[in-house]
Amino acid sequence: MSPPAVQPPAALTIRADMWDARRASGWLESAALAQNVPLEQVVRLDHCLDEALANVIRHGGPAALSSPVHLQFSVRRGPGACTAELSVSDAGVAFDPSTFVAAAPHPASLVDATPGGLGLPLIRNFSDELSYRHSQGRNHLTITVSWVEEA
Amino acid sequence: MAIRFEDVNEGLRRIVLSGRLDTAGSEQIAPQFAELTESAKGGVVVYLSAVRFLSSMAIGVLVTGAKAVQARGGRMVLHVAENEVIIRTLEATGINELIPTFQDALDAEKALLK
Repeated sequence: MSPPAVQPPAALTIRADMWDARRASGWLESAALAQNVPLEQVVRLDHCLDEALANVIRHGGPAALSSPVHLQFSVRRGPGACTAELSVSDAGVAFDPSTFVAAAPHPASLVDATPGGLGLPLIRNFSDELSYRHSQGRNHLTITVSWVEEA
Repeated sequence: MAIRFEDVNEGLRRIVLSGRLDTAGSEQIAPQFAELTESAKGGVVVYLSAVRFLSSMAIGVLVTGAKAVQARGGRMVLHVAENEVIIRTLEATGINELIPTFQDALDAEKALLK
């Protein structure tokens, strides 16, 4: 059996602000489509990226806002399945989204609903796997989506 | 992204959103959306069929608007047509259980008459 084919990663460094987050989305789409990632998977990653960057901007604190955010994207193609990995590295407050448990379940009515706290549920829903590590003062979140490619 | 509205009559306001409602786009439309929901005299249908990206920030804008309409005794509903990405996003957050969501535009507007 031949090993999975790994294409060289694409990388981008941005500022931690909403407009660079939008620029990152364009970069992600270009990089993913150039590697023939199906559009459905690109859409999933795009949602995860927007929410991950929104968390950095809203909750990362001053260090997150004053330091660059590093993004990396790579695709792995194997005989059974393909995966695309998007890594987000920021210098904000240490936070592991992969193990975070929501404080409360979905509200029962509109009266009880609050407008926030929906980013992580969306990341969880649109990704197949999340992994996290904290090293050298930076959060490193890796978001993975998987799909089966027709022969 | 874009936002426009139409007052069909005293009891029905249509708000049509389109484009990419990512975090940046949501912040841009939020003030006008809030004004439109706070000033509506009756029910509000929000058309999302032409939205191609709905962030958690955008959902927060919708929730805030729906609460404003409800606070004045009205109702807000969503029209999503066959937009699978938007449907998935609303289902993932459970918002479709709080704000009535319709695939058929006529059904959405009829729901406000009940």
